[in-house]
Amino acid sequence: MNTYTHAVICGCLYSLSLCVTPVLAANDELDALSLESAPEVKPAAPTSLKWLAEGAWGNASQRYLPDSRNIGRASIDFSYASRLAPGWRAVVSDRLDYFEPALASTDATVNSLREAYLSWQPDGGNSIFELGRINLRYGPSYGYNPTDFFRDGSLRVLTTADPFALRENRLGTVMLRGQYMWSDSAVSVALAPKLADAASANGWNLDLGATNNRDRAVLMLSTQFSKNVSGQTLLYKQAVQSTAIGFNMAALLSDAATAHLEFSRSSEPSLIDRTLGATNATPTRNRFSGGVTYTTVGKLSVTAEYQYNGFALSQADWSALGGAPATQLAYLSEALRLQELAARQSYLIYVTQKSLGHKDLDLTAYLRLNPGDDSKLFWLELRRHWPNFDLSFQLQQNIGNANSEFGLLPDRRVVQVLGTYYH
Amino acid sequence: MLPIKSISLVLFTCLVGVGASHAAPSADAILVASDGIRNPGRPFSVTVTLTEYQKGKQVDATTLTSYSRTQPNGQFASIVRFVLPTRDAGKLMLKNGNDMWFYDPTNKASVRLSPQQRLLGQASNGDVATVNLAKDYKPTLVAEEEVLDGERNKRNAYKLALTAVSPDVTYASIEMWVDAQNNRPIKMRFFAESQRLLKTVYYRKYLPQLGAERPTESVIIDGLDPQSVTLMRFSDYVARAIPETWMQRDFLPRFQPE
Repeated sequence: MNTYTHAVICGCLYSLSLCVTPVLAANDELDALSLESAPEVKPAAPTSLKWLAEGAWGNASQRYLPDSRNIGRASIDFSYASRLAPGWRAVVSDRLDYFEPALASTDATVNSLREAYLSWQPDGGNSIFELGRINLRYGPSYGYNPTDFFRDGSLRVLTTADPFALRENRLGTVMLRGQYMWSDSAVSVALAPKLADAASANGWNLDLGATNNRDRAVLMLSTQFSKNVSGQTLLYKQAVQSTAIGFNMAALLSDAATAHLEFSRSSEPSLIDRTLGATNATPTRNRFSGGVTYTTVGKLSVTAEYQYNGFALSQADWSALGGAPATQLAYLSEALRLQELAARQSYLIYVTQKSLGHKDLDLTAYLRLNPGDDSKLFWLELRRHWPNFDLSFQLQQNIGNANSEFGLLPDRRVVQVLGTYYH
Repeated sequence: MLPIKSISLVLFTCLVGVGASHAAPSADAILVASDGIRNPGRPFSVTVTLTEYQKGKQVDATTLTSYSRTQPNGQFASIVRFVLPTRDAGKLMLKNGNDMWFYDPTNKASVRLSPQQRLLGQASNGDVATVNLAKDYKPTLVAEEEVLDGERNKRNAYKLALTAVSPDVTYASIEMWVDAQNNRPIKMRFFAESQRLLKTVYYRKYLPQLGAERPTESVIIDGLDPQSVTLMRFSDYVARAIPETWMQRDFLPRFQPE
């Protein structure tokens, strides 16, 4: 075909497409107008019970043992909120987990009373008072929250490595809380008394020792700086220690991008001193995390986050512990208990893709990198939704040499299949 | 001569009068009146049922309750509570201008959203929130023409071209057809800055709700893939006392629907 003929044919096809496209579009619109909405479902009444049942089965390959081990879990999770009188509300939230085999240092069956509190919102709705076990959480970061002052000890059991889902098991702290709101700002105070000395390994214990083992208080001021930027300033005080300050911020950068950051500064024992029980020295140091989330039109969201913990071991100090792997493991375990960053610095890439090839299939994955020893934690979940049921596949890979943060962990790879029924 | 003069004067007055009564109102007035039909003028809640279709087949259904009120800047702010599917029940989305947050009560996480992040399948987050277009767009009356409405009937309509005057809006421009008889919105076409058609929306099934005949269903046709259609049904409009202080991130963990 010569160039002229080709040009003529292309021209004709283009002209034809110009004529046909509006007709097709008009027909599509007419077809769309013949569709009908789904039957209406009345919203649930204010008194609401929500529960789910979940089963998990998987296998973990071991770093120090030749054989892999099977792991299993069955869980029932419920929350109930009831309006007692105008302005009054009662909230209860509980989770029961059974592990096979049992997790180290806890019973096979663990009941977590996450929340149980009364809420009073006087007329006008500008102030709120709450009393009971309340899950109070601050901070917009994805993988490390320096301003989430009530995070330590709150995770009784670990059922996932996903930092978002991890918080679903979190225990609340018994406190009296008051909040007052203006149109674009709010102030709140929370007072949490000491109620027990130490955490309990008894699976049916309320475990107040995990969350209320010292007197604590936090004052928070929330401000909308502009249409696109908002932040929270926090003052935190606990028995024996001096006051810590915290600040967090979230901002809209563009139609597709948001940014977040968190900062705190306090005087307290370092993480290794806590691990070793030597808590006399209280240096003043900073914690920080900050990142950006970008979302594409195709529902892909990517978050990149930098994390810093001035109380964690430097890479040189971590390496110096290489001759004492038991101490290193105890250090990592303490970091997990306190929900602290074990490394001085860390990077997180967190990715979600909704409707991956199929409308009801979602992908969530993240990579946590310790730049000091180049070890990595990779986690991936594929989740298929049905109206009341989810089926998930999860893969966790701990990558690194034997003396690294993630290479030291006993599980090399964990593969799990989960079924979740929602009611 | 006097009678002829008088008759001429009467005829002239009538002609001028008729002409005046037929003169199109201003584009601003049409847009404000049309906003007033889509949106109640007081705080309210409404149940929203979204039904998603792909190639004519239903693929998803979601139920939400939206709580909206006008803020001092004249624009609406909304808290949207997920009702169905069950796994999402109780989750909240706040939209106060571009201050958008998603709150999940199970993990207590408040996540800042960008306008491009979608929580609702094909529908954008802004689709379920109430918006006063007159606050963010400058309208121009470009034509008076016949158009097919959502019930597939021909209507005489004013065609308005809306250009964004606020940099924060999701759509750079909008074409809008408003019923010339009663200012009811009939159809809108939403465009990106690149002039790409993002979606076409028909407003239909007008019923009395909170003191006016309002559209109780909208048909959202994707601009790129016209086979992707979302129907949004609005039911159970209820006037409510919704304080201005609710429309901030710090209120989401304390939100208790009455």
